[in-house]
Amino acid sequence: MAELFKLIENKILQEKLYHFRVDPGMDLYVLPRPGYRKKYAIFSTRFGSTDNKFRIEPEQDFTDLPDGVAHFLEHKLFEDERGNVFDRFAALGASANAYTSFNQTTYLFSCTERFTENFKVLLDFVQEPYFTEQTVQKEQGIIGQEIKMYDDHPHWRVFFNLLESLYQAHPVRNDIAGTVESISRITPELLYLCYNTFYHPSNMAVFVVGDLNPQQVYSLTAENLAAKNYGPLGAIVRSFPAEPSEVLKRRVEQQLVVSEPLIFIGYKDIAVEHLKGRELMRREILMELVLDILFGTSEKLYNDLYRDDLIDENFGADYTAESNYGYVMIGGETKDPDRLCERIMGAIEIMNKEGINEEQFERHRRKILGGYIRRFNSLEFIANNFLAYRFRETDLFELPSILQEIKLEEVLALAAENLAPQRHAVSLILPAGEN
Amino acid sequence: MPGIYVSQKLPNGIKLHFLPTNKFKTISIGIFIHQELSSELAALSALLPSVLEKGCRLYPDYLTLQRKLENLYGADLSTDIIKSGERHTLAFTLETAHDRYLGENSNLLGEGLAILSAVLTDPLLENDAFSEKYVKQEKNQLIKDIKALLNDKATYATERCLSEMCAGERFGVFRLGKIEDYGKINPAGLYQYYKQLIARNPVDIYVVGDLDEQAVLDTVEGYFNFSRAENEADLPGAELKGVRSEQLSLEEQMAVNQAKLVLGYRTATGFKDELHCALLVYSGILGGFPHSKLFMKVREEAGLAYYIHSRLERHKGLMLISAGINHEDHEQARAIIELQLSDMAAGKISDTELENTKRGLINQLLSRQDSPSQLISFHLDGRIGGYNYSFEQLIEGIEKVSLTEIKAVAERIKLDTSFLLRPAEGGERSDG
Repeated sequence: MAELFKLIENKILQEKLYHFRVDPGMDLYVLPRPGYRKKYAIFSTRFGSTDNKFRIEPEQDFTDLPDGVAHFLEHKLFEDERGNVFDRFAALGASANAYTSFNQTTYLFSCTERFTENFKVLLDFVQEPYFTEQTVQKEQGIIGQEIKMYDDHPHWRVFFNLLESLYQAHPVRNDIAGTVESISRITPELLYLCYNTFYHPSNMAVFVVGDLNPQQVYSLTAENLAAKNYGPLGAIVRSFPAEPSEVLKRRVEQQLVVSEPLIFIGYKDIAVEHLKGRELMRREILMELVLDILFGTSEKLYNDLYRDDLIDENFGADYTAESNYGYVMIGGETKDPDRLCERIMGAIEIMNKEGINEEQFERHRRKILGGYIRRFNSLEFIANNFLAYRFRETDLFELPSILQEIKLEEVLALAAENLAPQRHAVSLILPAGEN
Repeated sequence: MPGIYVSQKLPNGIKLHFLPTNKFKTISIGIFIHQELSSELAALSALLPSVLEKGCRLYPDYLTLQRKLENLYGADLSTDIIKSGERHTLAFTLETAHDRYLGENSNLLGEGLAILSAVLTDPLLENDAFSEKYVKQEKNQLIKDIKALLNDKATYATERCLSEMCAGERFGVFRLGKIEDYGKINPAGLYQYYKQLIARNPVDIYVVGDLDEQAVLDTVEGYFNFSRAENEADLPGAELKGVRSEQLSLEEQMAVNQAKLVLGYRTATGFKDELHCALLVYSGILGGFPHSKLFMKVREEAGLAYYIHSRLERHKGLMLISAGINHEDHEQARAIIELQLSDMAAGKISDTELENTKRGLINQLLSRQDSPSQLISFHLDGRIGGYNYSFEQLIEGIEKVSLTEIKAVAERIKLDTSFLLRPAEGGERSDG
């Protein structure tokens, strides 16, 4: 049967992506990759750790969630009346997993044989919730260990300590897994409530990549969803607290067993909430250029800092832009965090005064394009990123065309706007027992 | 059919392995220089790639090199030192986008090889020695890297277990050597070591991508025709030892939230052993997958851990079980782990466990064919182990593994050393 789909072509990558709309309102994307042994599929919902206050139209009352529910739910979907879902994939030779971010929960598998059966297992288990008092209780122990593991992880701690300092109210400041206390408040009823809201197909999407026939993948998906007899779901209304433009704290410190201090400098982006789709992605690419020109390995600053023994090879900077929060993070391990911080902020000032040249701009633009092409070797990269971009109404395939159209002046203007000293905060991990 | 290398020897003895395939968007090149792992040479071998990368005659500083790479559409050059069994391998890899996606007349294979050749064969010299500035700088960075082992507690626990377990063996040498070794290295000595190494030690060059075989051979030969010794160094393979007479049980206290348990076993089964595939299946059933005994019993049933797994060091025939747990639970976790091993030895393995593990291992193997770096490391592993298994051979070997063979493997597996990293009493930090 021929079904309607939209073909999305990318000339630079020489890729063809098939976009189907599956009843009741789910997006399905299939990217054929001839010659690959592996087939990779992800089933993803727009439910992440920051979606902690919501209602469904036409209800008027909001539900408030304890921290860590999306991640907890992710763990619990792997268990149902028939037992452990990992066993079902294992019997079909597949490797399965899942992850939860600030904005989405994603279930995935990869396999080199029996794709159809594995794909059905994926679609089925994500659509079959099973939560009991007993299984919820056991999971509190497992996730408690996951939280403790991250509590000992310097990079994880420096990251969340920084978000807690940058943000006063937005839930991005809370750890994705929650705390031992917050997850103790999770009940089966709460999980069902979240499940019935966020796991309706209209809030979800599927991406499949590998040596596959798009029409067949569509038929499998359409049949599977049709059999579940979904009713319509009212629009999900999320509520986020008003976030002041000021940071909460200028500086935060924590002691851990580490060999050297670890510093992250963050800048809070207050403009992203007014941006959508292509504009958001344009900002992301521009910021990537700004940060690469400022802190990249080919520039003077990086090489001076390395020579002066203030950074190591892991020093770096990156930018995150979601629909209602955004931030820049710069940093790494250093023997002298205060001097490094000074040099970084000084370099930003100099760039704002002296500008950048055409040669730098072109060179970094080339680098971003080449890196983008290289990443398309990885099926996981393609699927995971395509849906992450899709969920903020942007399109991963548009990167080359946006990269082509941006101008040097835009890069400079954004650097001045988005790396403003009054919106920065510093997070430090210091060696325990010293200081 | 991907996975089939065309291998040939250049006149100077360097081995070229070319894998023609059009499924990737890249050209991937890897150059590997093999050395034995030893306490005398470890720091020299670890330092060399970093010093070479930081400055060569054509690109005398890192900034110049990085600009050159950026102009090649952000080609990615990296250097590393790999510890595999009792082999220490210096690695130089470069990956670029394939010319066909860039819409201009480029020659990224040639450009990439030219850069690697400049870095590897034409170093920056001052009076018959490496640049003093770079040697000093990179020594300092590597010493920091050694100290930084402390930062990831799971890796730290693993390395502590291995170094105690294999103290006195070559395998007990840390990948980056010891801090005090760096004090003895000077720029002239390092250069002498370099000259000897590239002249005498085995070198493998890998190229993976949609390229013409003859062009690859000609280009590689053009850039890597430096003269080398008649006879290559003959490197010893990994030595398999039996367990110590009395199990070693170690503990260390640290200001951490979670305890890390690492159990080190000797399997007496090396890379070329006829039970090699049976060992892969054994470790898979025990702790290689989410369906494995350790994950099911310790995590899913008892809820004691978030991560628990077993891993093999296939060249040295070691197996490590690692878990992150509450310190109060460590005896219970240990008891459940030991029960799984005795169940394995008693042949208490269901058909489902056996079959699922075989499928899982085969899936992992086939998946490696979808990544250029995995294709390279798969073949390189064979070069290090002294035998190049083909994908088909391993798959067939895994399919054939019987319960009898797994029991035979189980009989060989003996606990040697256990290591527990535990939260410091009273929340105080104390160095072990």
